[in-house]
Amino acid sequence: MSMDLLAYVPLLLRATGTTLWLSWLAVLIGVVGGTLLALLRISRWRTLRILALLYTEFFRSIPILIVMFFSYFGMPLLLGVDLSPFAAATIALALHASSTMSEVVRAGIQSVGRGQWEAAQSSGMGYIQVMRHIIGPQAIRVVLPPSVGILITTVKESSLASVIGYIELTRTGLLIRESTDGGFAPLLALAFLYFLINYAISLGGGALERRFHIGRRSDLVGAMA
Amino acid sequence: MTPVLRLNSMTKRFGARTILDGISMSVVPGEIVCFIGPSGTGKSTLLRCVNGLEGIQGGEIIFEGQRVEAHARSIAAVRKRVGMIFQHFNLYPHLTALQNVMLAPVVVHKEPKAVVEERARALFEKVRLSHRIDAYPSQLSGGEQQRVAIARALAANPHLLMFDEPTSALDPETVGDVLAVMRDLAQEGRTMLVVTHEIRFAADVGTRMVFVDKGQIVEDADPREMLANPKTDRARQFLNSIHA
Repeated sequence: MSMDLLAYVPLLLRATGTTLWLSWLAVLIGVVGGTLLALLRISRWRTLRILALLYTEFFRSIPILIVMFFSYFGMPLLLGVDLSPFAAATIALALHASSTMSEVVRAGIQSVGRGQWEAAQSSGMGYIQVMRHIIGPQAIRVVLPPSVGILITTVKESSLASVIGYIELTRTGLLIRESTDGGFAPLLALAFLYFLINYAISLGGGALERRFHIGRRSDLVGAMA
Repeated sequence: MTPVLRLNSMTKRFGARTILDGISMSVVPGEIVCFIGPSGTGKSTLLRCVNGLEGIQGGEIIFEGQRVEAHARSIAAVRKRVGMIFQHFNLYPHLTALQNVMLAPVVVHKEPKAVVEERARALFEKVRLSHRIDAYPSQLSGGEQQRVAIARALAANPHLLMFDEPTSALDPETVGDVLAVMRDLAQEGRTMLVVTHEIRFAADVGTRMVFVDKGQIVEDADPREMLANPKTDRARQFLNSIHA
């Protein structure tokens, strides 16, 4: 049996790549969308604030699987658009990731004190300049840790795409299990691979966090020690 | 002399509360106007209205011939020529002292980095912090941070400097360093508005003292004149209370 499974290793590795690609793409869209949503959430216009809030609350509250079913089975019926399982899964995961990210980014922006805005504005900077040079670099320290968490969650949730027939890591493992003797080994292999991916993301996130902690109190302590 | 700044019955309200009630005054180049008065009487708000951090509800503010409108695009042009120093410094914690000073000239005024850096280094000398140029704000004492903030405000060659209680958040032993720098600036003939509780500094350095109470200018006179001989009871009471 273990010999059997070894033969499937290349297949599992390729499927790992597929899962990573799907999750990465969804989170990338989620970060961009979530940032835009966060800016709407704190904008001066009430209507935009409310729309962004509704979006966030809606997609945060609905199971991803249901969103996936809607985008895969519902879109052809409602809009006549046929989506591949990959596209449907990406959309569903991205909708969810963006709704979670928007809260994280909003908290990050709001963690930067009013005094920073005022100092930057007083020097003549416009909104985009303040965001880019002052608020963004400070907010990212707050945003980064939960973002890593969202990426990890998305990797795990991407296994739901197997339900609409997308052959990613989980689906591949289950197929291998069916075509071999149905033992636990393929499931263990799956668990191990997911762990590997997410542990790597975790380590990478930690390294990034340390990079962005420039100018913090901890540096002072470090410099004095 | 044409005034740098003119306030015409400026009124500021927060909801139903009137913070500034018909303030009128002019400031000509080279004047050092010290605003004194009890806490919560609108002195800081007055400065914040001048560079549009707060909008006004009545009257007008004219800076170098241009109307100041807090939420209009034109406000950026005003802010480029007005330097502001805050009570709590508000340095950018993710940037070094040098980067703090260089940011606005490079990003807002689009000056070449090399030119700005040269000027910035000279400014650090002026505020006596050349040795701390690469430190982050968290590594600086309050007094040092405030001097970096002054250098930051000077970096854009402002026509007007506004100090909002620059020494109120400082340890007593670092207040002197900041005041010394402000004295130097005064001697250069810069135009300054200073909200302060440092009466001695106001008397020594100020060319004009404005006593503000309950949102109104109660007295506006030569500093020594006002200290020696306040014209109003309210000013007399206030000055007695802080001399004690």
